[in-house]
Amino acid sequence: MSFARTMQPAPRIAFGLAALLWAGLIALLIAAVFSTRLGLRGDGLALAIGALTLFVASIAMTFSLRYMRANPRQAGFSITVALLVAAILGFVFTRNLLVFAVAWCASGWLLARLIGHTSGWSEARAAARRSLTCFAIGDAALLGAFALLGWHAGSLELDAVLAHVGAIPTATVTAAALLLVVAAVARCALPPFAGWLLTSMTAPTPVSALMHAGFVNAGGFLLIRFAPVVEAAPAVRIIGTGLGLLGAIYGIGIMVVRPDIKRLLAGSTVSQMGFMIMCCGLGAYSAALWHIIAHGLFKAWLFLGAGSAIGTVPASRRHGARDWRISLVVAAVALSIALVLALVGISSVALIPGLLALATAAVTLTGSIGGGLSARASFPLTGFLVALGAVNLLGLGIAAAAVGRDGPVLLDPWGNLAVLAILLGAWTWQGFRQARGTILPPAFYIYLLNAAALRTAGTGQPK
Amino acid sequence: MNVMQQVTALDLALTRTEVAGLVALAARTVAPLWPLESAIAVNPLAGFEDLPFPAAVRMAAAQFGARESLPLGSWRELYAAGRIEERALRDVAIGHLGGAYRACAIVAPGVTMLDLIMTRLLHLPVAAEQTKPSPLAPAAAFLAKWCAAFFDQGMAAVPMPHRELGLYRAVVAMAAHDPEFRSIAGEPGRQLLLTVPRDPLQAIAEGLAALEISDGSALTYLGAVVARLPGWAGHIRWRGEHADPEAAQGAPASMADLVALWILLERADPRAAPTAPVPDEDVTTLLATHFGLPGEFFEETTAIGLEPFAKIATIGAADLGKVFMTAAEWTYCNALAPKLQAAATAPPANANAEAQLVFCIDVRSEPFRRALEAHGSYETLGYAGFFGLPIALHPFGGQRRKRLLPVLLSPQHDVAEASAPGAEREAAVFASANARDILAAQLFESAKRGTATAFATAEATGPLAGAIMVARTIAPRLVNRIASALKPNREDAFAPDAARHAAGHDHPPFTLEDKIGYASALFRLTGLSAKTARLVVLVGHGGRAVNNPYAAALDCGACGGHAGGSNARILVAMLNDPQVRAGLASHSIAIPAHTLFLAAEHNTTTDEVRIFDQVLVPKSHHADLDELKSDLAKAGDANRQRRAGLLGQSPEGLLTGAVHWGEVRPEWGLAGNAGFIVGPRWLTRDIDLEGRAFLHSYDWRQDDDGVALATILTAPMVVAQWINCQYLFSTLDNEHYGSGDKTTQNVLGGFGVVQGNGGDLKIGLPWQSLFADDGIPFHVPQRLLTVVHAPFERVRAVVEANDILARLFGNGWVQLVVVDPHTGTALRWRHDLATGSEGSGPLAISL
Repeated sequence: MSFARTMQPAPRIAFGLAALLWAGLIALLIAAVFSTRLGLRGDGLALAIGALTLFVASIAMTFSLRYMRANPRQAGFSITVALLVAAILGFVFTRNLLVFAVAWCASGWLLARLIGHTSGWSEARAAARRSLTCFAIGDAALLGAFALLGWHAGSLELDAVLAHVGAIPTATVTAAALLLVVAAVARCALPPFAGWLLTSMTAPTPVSALMHAGFVNAGGFLLIRFAPVVEAAPAVRIIGTGLGLLGAIYGIGIMVVRPDIKRLLAGSTVSQMGFMIMCCGLGAYSAALWHIIAHGLFKAWLFLGAGSAIGTVPASRRHGARDWRISLVVAAVALSIALVLALVGISSVALIPGLLALATAAVTLTGSIGGGLSARASFPLTGFLVALGAVNLLGLGIAAAAVGRDGPVLLDPWGNLAVLAILLGAWTWQGFRQARGTILPPAFYIYLLNAAALRTAGTGQPK
Repeated sequence: MNVMQQVTALDLALTRTEVAGLVALAARTVAPLWPLESAIAVNPLAGFEDLPFPAAVRMAAAQFGARESLPLGSWRELYAAGRIEERALRDVAIGHLGGAYRACAIVAPGVTMLDLIMTRLLHLPVAAEQTKPSPLAPAAAFLAKWCAAFFDQGMAAVPMPHRELGLYRAVVAMAAHDPEFRSIAGEPGRQLLLTVPRDPLQAIAEGLAALEISDGSALTYLGAVVARLPGWAGHIRWRGEHADPEAAQGAPASMADLVALWILLERADPRAAPTAPVPDEDVTTLLATHFGLPGEFFEETTAIGLEPFAKIATIGAADLGKVFMTAAEWTYCNALAPKLQAAATAPPANANAEAQLVFCIDVRSEPFRRALEAHGSYETLGYAGFFGLPIALHPFGGQRRKRLLPVLLSPQHDVAEASAPGAEREAAVFASANARDILAAQLFESAKRGTATAFATAEATGPLAGAIMVARTIAPRLVNRIASALKPNREDAFAPDAARHAAGHDHPPFTLEDKIGYASALFRLTGLSAKTARLVVLVGHGGRAVNNPYAAALDCGACGGHAGGSNARILVAMLNDPQVRAGLASHSIAIPAHTLFLAAEHNTTTDEVRIFDQVLVPKSHHADLDELKSDLAKAGDANRQRRAGLLGQSPEGLLTGAVHWGEVRPEWGLAGNAGFIVGPRWLTRDIDLEGRAFLHSYDWRQDDDGVALATILTAPMVVAQWINCQYLFSTLDNEHYGSGDKTTQNVLGGFGVVQGNGGDLKIGLPWQSLFADDGIPFHVPQRLLTVVHAPFERVRAVVEANDILARLFGNGWVQLVVVDPHTGTALRWRHDLATGSEGSGPLAISL
């Protein structure tokens, strides 16, 4: 960093904090390697999420050295981001409920400050207020759950509480699990809490990157961390799975009608978080953890690159020509597999994510091979896609190792089939509509377009 | 059904045709807004140019809710930084007070009028600025939302329904289902939706009658309506007046659509009325305290004696800002004019140049030219960067055509790209890589928004995304090298082929006469002598920025917001064509046989110059080329060093910034622009113009009829004025005339940006392009100073023969100074003719 020499104090603070984050990441990775090597009891979940958070934060902070250079409050910005990272790491690594709760609440408050970073901008203030309100509900739920659990276990130590779950009365544990799901859903911006994320575009771009990669997914972390509590309440798992499925489809709906890049990405995040929470509900913790990590990287990348969206539209616009009949065949095959499994009575928590991944691979590879490219151009592309799939499997394996175990199967095979049918059916319908060029029903379109509109006005002033 | 009766009973005072005419006039309140892909600098106050500058600024400020001046605090910072001379400020202040006699009047013991005004300018505390974005009114937010959905060019996978009906009818159809419309317009709105005419012009006529707006005030009213969402209104103007028809396919819209929607909302809810501006506060007491005047002073002094005090105390912040702006202009002029006068009559250096290089007039060319001249015997010239070729280029790969010409003109030739000479293999590799990239992008796009595929796509792409993020953040230059290894540069693989006519367009390819005409214009307009050097290089220019919505704003404005290399390549091909040379010779432009023309492109971000089609250079010129390349590299190093200081970075940091995805200010662009100098290079050769001046080469001796001068002043200078006004107003009020902070911008529709979650499409330039990191304006907002090196009478004849010039100079949008080539006398064009003219004519005040 050659420009470090002539830097003002504010850039110097930013530079120092970026360096600190990188150092923290490296230290964490070293610690992770050694803890396994030395046979220490490593907290794989915390290490994975901690590494993701530090990684994305390091990138965002380094990016900001140039990006935020003209910001009048660059130092304050950097410090708030660093504190946010510290708070996230705090609840990720702690094994004490009190510390967890304090860090969790602090992270929400710090993020709201970053959403309202631009001083005197009424829209930013309103967006910050809305996020604070959402977080307050989630935080209250979290505190309630912790109070119930801690009171019954007579301890604020995480391990003691989790060990004690079996002894808590069903009604209480169900209430605690429900409160945990509410806290998770508020953090993950699933409906009815999607508003805060969908109106958070007043935050500078690097904050959005960090938010979508290191903050929203804390809901998934919470559910995996307190898996024994949630598992003790199957009804709550059904609710979580349902909310997740709803969010997954709702988010896609928002994504496809948005004409602006950042809110389009926010819609996508709602959808991805829905899928991830659904996986948590189903008990597919490894799939959920891997999704948290990979989606975090994916979304941070897209957000930081959001400035590239000028003039790129016409090339990708022609994608509508994709043959929807291929998706129909792929969907039919996937459903048939699920049906066969149902008939022979095989069920698995990973069935839904697994079959969706297979369908994605099938349709993408078909597209790359049948995309009209010369063999010379098509072969490397197809090979590249296969490699991505392989890396994905590897990542899933690492996530499985980190998380230790999946939960008990929630849905019977027919339940799995139903969820798959919803997602694959919606997908086929999407492709069909796109190919035919049919419009959405106006009321439905408007519902999606208006989702989470922020009302800052009311004074009736045109300017 | 009350409303129904009311409506049918309305007596429409205006016909459709009359309304169409009024709307067309009202539309001119806003300037057209180009998509950022080919960003064009325009004067946001273009619609006010027939007014004198101060009146225009005042009216526009009221119309757009904008400021009239930079805040006083910012002016003081500029003053403290030495960007405004103390003497100039004092002189302007004296002028503002009505002359030295009144300025020196004593108003209190030991205090003059001048002391009072200087105190107000420099010392009295100013109220904190309250100009942060305020929320859009619900009606404006409603329309902005629907404009975004309607004008989207494919960012949303699912388009807005009913777009084919046109903006007005589509929104009327959708509004019935929109709860936001119900909350804004209520029951009257619902009724109106049923009864309002489906034709926007008819609806406007009916609305004007219903709102009881008289015929006389209709135009004013409609202008104010257009100005409520200047970004979207500007976008509509661009689509209607400057875009290729493809841009509007399937979604027609005119200004009448937008106006009709506004009127519909206003009829439903007439409450929305503009607020009055906040009056300036009275600072009499502050002023008195500053001079230590006791309270009794005011009691003892008579009303008449207090008048001067009150007069100074009530000068508005806008007028104080005007004093500062004028002082900044004088500072610039005072420094520049004497140097030009001194050089005006000096004999031209007669050394034979090794090579001649024709650069764009762009302010960024000047320091590079000076650096190059310092490294060898080079002659450089300035010419509009499209090199006089009114073309549109159809890039390989079937993208939309690029209009490579100033927006004042429309394309006369459609040129297609073909593989560059000797680069057939690269072209094939490029084509194949391009097809692969497009397919990959399509697969990615459709997978990431499929309800079943989005999740696995995110997971499969995640690890790759992580690796890309690290590389782009830590080692962007390495990424850039890898990318160019995987796919050849477009410019290396392809060249515009003048002989190749793009299908589907009516414009004929170049005839021999066309070619000779364009080639001779180079000589005619720049005064380039026919006795050319062994190498003559036409240097276009472009910027380099990644992940930057405003990247095109760094490109060549004369090439329609694109890099100018293609134009240079085409004109060079013409100039090297033996037939064209024979034709030129018959126009008494006999180019020596040893002269070789070359095309190049100056990268203004990295200061690297790429010379095109070097394989075509004959052996005889290899040594010349090598020397030129080495000198260009040295000049590039020198200029990069200079620019690095201005950007607060290291020269290496600039090279990194050009390819770094987090860079918000890869270069200063045209910030700082202040002058437009028309004359031979020897006039300015020894002056450090600090990259603030457009330089157009011109030799008055070769232009007896003044045609070349008229062309230069009415075309390139007008483009320069647009640029100057864009920078001026974007700095003056970055929220209303500029696009605000880049870090909270949100790209919309593939063609523009909004702030945060939405709102009006932003116009102008972002904060980072105009203000330094410490918040002090880097660009001093000041009007263009045009200096012409030619006899007075010729300039006067040209100006008086062209309405646009009389308007720009006469209304004070551009200051004109003429330097007489015989005597070195400099005269300034008076723009205050209306207020009593003494002396012999408009060119009156000598400097």
